[in-house]
Amino acid sequence: MFHDGSMAAYTITAAAATHHSSGGGFLVLIVLVLGGLGFAVVRLRNRHDARGRHEEWKVPPERPVAGTERAAADTGRSAPVPAQPERASRTVRPAVALTDPADGWAVETHRLTKRFGSNVAVDDVELRVPRGCAFGYLGPNGAGKTTLIRTLLGLTRANGGTMSLRGFRVPAERSRALARVGAIVDEPRFHTHLTGRENLRLLAAARGGQAGARIAPSLARVGLTDRADDKVASYSMGMRQRLGVAACMLGDPELLILDEPMNGLDPAGMHEMRTTIQNLVDEGRTVMLSSHLLDEVERTCDAVAIVDHGRVIRQGPIDELVRGAGTVVVRVDCADPAAAARVIEQAGIAAGTALADAGLTVTLPAGAPRETVAEINRRLVGSGISVYGLQEVRTSLEDWFLSVTSRFGEHQ
Amino acid sequence: MTEISSATGLSAPAGGSPASGDRERTTAMRRFGSWIPTWGLIATKFLELRKRWGLMIAVVLLTMALPVLVLALRLLFHAVDPKTYGPAGSPSIFSGLVNAMAEFGFIAAATLGTAAGTTDLTDGMFRHLVVTGRSRLALYLARIPSGLAIVLPLVAVAFAMVCLVTSYAGSPQPTTIAVNGATIPAGLDQAQLETWLLQHPQQAAAALPPGPGPSSVPTRAFIERDSGTIYGDYTADELTQQNPAVNEMVKIGLWLELVIGVAFLVGLGLGSLLGQRTVATILMIALEIIVTPILARTAIPYFLDGQRLVVGIALDQLRPAGLGAAGAGGPGPGPGHILFGGRGVLGIPPMPTWAMIAVIVGWIVGWSVIGAWRMMTRDA
Repeated sequence: MFHDGSMAAYTITAAAATHHSSGGGFLVLIVLVLGGLGFAVVRLRNRHDARGRHEEWKVPPERPVAGTERAAADTGRSAPVPAQPERASRTVRPAVALTDPADGWAVETHRLTKRFGSNVAVDDVELRVPRGCAFGYLGPNGAGKTTLIRTLLGLTRANGGTMSLRGFRVPAERSRALARVGAIVDEPRFHTHLTGRENLRLLAAARGGQAGARIAPSLARVGLTDRADDKVASYSMGMRQRLGVAACMLGDPELLILDEPMNGLDPAGMHEMRTTIQNLVDEGRTVMLSSHLLDEVERTCDAVAIVDHGRVIRQGPIDELVRGAGTVVVRVDCADPAAAARVIEQAGIAAGTALADAGLTVTLPAGAPRETVAEINRRLVGSGISVYGLQEVRTSLEDWFLSVTSRFGEHQ
Repeated sequence: MTEISSATGLSAPAGGSPASGDRERTTAMRRFGSWIPTWGLIATKFLELRKRWGLMIAVVLLTMALPVLVLALRLLFHAVDPKTYGPAGSPSIFSGLVNAMAEFGFIAAATLGTAAGTTDLTDGMFRHLVVTGRSRLALYLARIPSGLAIVLPLVAVAFAMVCLVTSYAGSPQPTTIAVNGATIPAGLDQAQLETWLLQHPQQAAAALPPGPGPSSVPTRAFIERDSGTIYGDYTADELTQQNPAVNEMVKIGLWLELVIGVAFLVGLGLGSLLGQRTVATILMIALEIIVTPILARTAIPYFLDGQRLVVGIALDQLRPAGLGAAGAGGPGPGPGHILFGGRGVLGIPPMPTWAMIAVIVGWIVGWSVIGAWRMMTRDA
C-alpha cells in the first residue's frame, strides 16, 4: 500500500504508469466493474425468469408420512440394520411394488424439467423410486442421468416441475430432505492434499450433529481404516469411490444416490461396489444409482427406469419390464440354416429370422405361445431339414433396453 | 470394500433416550439450515487452508520473510560492526518495512482469499458440501474467519517484530528535528510550530523558503498563510528522523490489519464469483500494483470521484500519520486524521473521512455479497 511511491516496487508501477496512459488503468477498472455488474444483472434476470417459470408448476402439498421406518428416520433413529449375509443376487429380495406406498416414495418427481439453453436434459420426468430397494436409472451416455441427479440434489436448479426426496419437497425443504441423503455425483473428488479422514471431518462438520461420530465406522465399513490417514492424492480410483461411499454414510442416509458408481473400477472394485450396494439395501436403505452399464443394473437393482433423450420411457421392476417386452428368441441348430429361414418365413410364424455363425435365430412375435417353438420344429422336420437343437433365449435387459431406446429414438 | 460389515453399524450412536434424541435431531435440523457457520465448519475450513503447504509457505514468505530478513541482517551487522552499521531499527526502516508489508501482505491475503473462494470448487468438494444440505451461505461465511485466522496473526507477528526492533534496537529518539538546516524541537503540532517559528525568526528564515518582501525573515502573515505546507515539511522530516510513538504503532498495526483484511475479503469474493483461482489472483495483483498506483498518482479530470472509489486509494488516505509519506511528500495534512491521522499523501486531493470509510466498507460488503450470492446460486 505504498501507492505514494517510496519503494522500489513502486518504481516499477510508476514506470508502468509512465508507459501506459492512466486512462488505460482506468479502462481496466471500468471494464471489471461493468463486467461484474453485467454478469450480476444477467444472473439475477435468469433467476427471476426461473422463479417465474417455477411458479407455473404448483408444488403439491407434502405427502403425509407414515410407517415406522420413516418415523424412525425423522426422530434420529437409524433404519434397522439387520445382520444379513451378503446376497448372492438381487432376486433374493421380494419383488418391488411400484404402487403408491403407504410411507411415500424415496424419490418422486412430477414433470421435472431441466434445460441448458435449447437443450432439454431432463424432459418432463415422472419418476417414483420406492423405499428400501436398489433402483437403477438406466440410459445411454448423454441421456440426462447425471443432470437429473444434480437437479434432485439441488446442485442445479430445475426449470420446471416438482420433486421430493424422502417425502420432503425440494428445494423448499432441501435441508431436511438432504439431512439423510448421501450422494456421489460423477466421480468422487476430494481435497487431495488432505487425508481421507480429514476430508470426512470436513464433510461431517458441514453435516453437523452426530456425523463426526460416524467417521470411524464409515471408514471401517468401506475398508479404509488403514489408509484413512494417507493423503487422498495417493488413493486409487477404487479407494476414492469407497471414500465417497464413506462420505455418504456420514449422514446415516435413508437414501443414497450414486451416479455411475462403477465408473473407473476394475472387476474386483465393481464386485465390491455391487456388494456394498446390496448390503445397503439389506439394511433398509434406498439406493438409487444411475448407470449406462445394463448388466450392472440388472445384477444390482430391483427396479429400473429407462431414460433416453432426457425422458423416462419405462420404469418398473426389472423382471416385469423384461417380461413385458414379450419377445422370445429361439436359436435353431440345424443342417441348413438358410433353407430353414425360408421355411419359417413362408410359414409366417416368426417376427423375424437371422442367420448367425451358430445357426439360425428366430424372433417370435410378442405374446407368442410356447407351442410356436414346437411348430417351428414340426415345419423344419416336415421340410426335410435335420434339426439338432432348439433353444429358447430369454430376452436380457440389454436386448430389451436397446430395442426400447432405439424405438424411442426413431420416434424422435 | 474388502470387508463390508453391517456390524460396524452406522446407526446413530446410542446415548440418551428417544425423547432426547428427538430434541437433538430437531435442534440439529434447525441449525442445519441456519446461515450462521458452526465452529466445526470454521475449524475444518481453517484446517483445509492450513494444510495447503505451498500456499502457506507463500503467505508466510510474503508477510514475514522481508521484515525477518532485513531486521535479522541489520541486527547482525550492527552487532558485528556497530561503527559501520547503525542500529537495526530506524524511522526509515520502520516506514519502509511497514509499507512493504502492506504491499506484499495485500497480495498474500488476496491470494489466500482467492484460494479460499475457489478450492472447494476446483477440488470437487463443493458438490459434497452442498449435498450435505448445509446452507450455502454458511459455507461461504465459514471461510471468512478461517482465512482471517491465518493471515491476520502472521501479519501481526511480523509487525510486532518490526515494532520491537524499532523500539529496543533502534536509533535513539531525537529531541530536535532538522528542517532545511534549521533545528526545531520535535513533537510540535501545527499551532505550536507556528508559535515557535514566530518566536525564532532566524531559525524560521533558515527553515522556510524566502518570503515576499525585502526582508529575509518571514512575516507572521507569511507563516500563518503557509502553515499547512510548513507543517507538512516539518512532519515529513520528523517522521524520517523520529521513531513512531507506541500509540502511533498501534494505529499503524490496525491500519495494516485493515489492509490485509480488505484484501482477503475482496479476494474471497472475487474468487467465489469467478470460480478460478488463477484469474482471480492475477486480477487482485493487477489491482494492487498496477491499477491502484496509476489512479492514485494522477488526478484524472472529471473522474476524481471515480478514482476515490478504488479501495487502495481510500486505504492509503487512511494511512496513519506515524507511517509517514514514505518520502514522497504530499499535499499536506488530509482529513483522515479523525481515525488514524492520515495525511492525504497521494497525488489526488484528499477525500473526507466518511468517504474513505464508505469506500472501504462498500468494498468489503459488496464483494462479500457478490461472493456469497455466487456461492448460493452456482451450479455444483
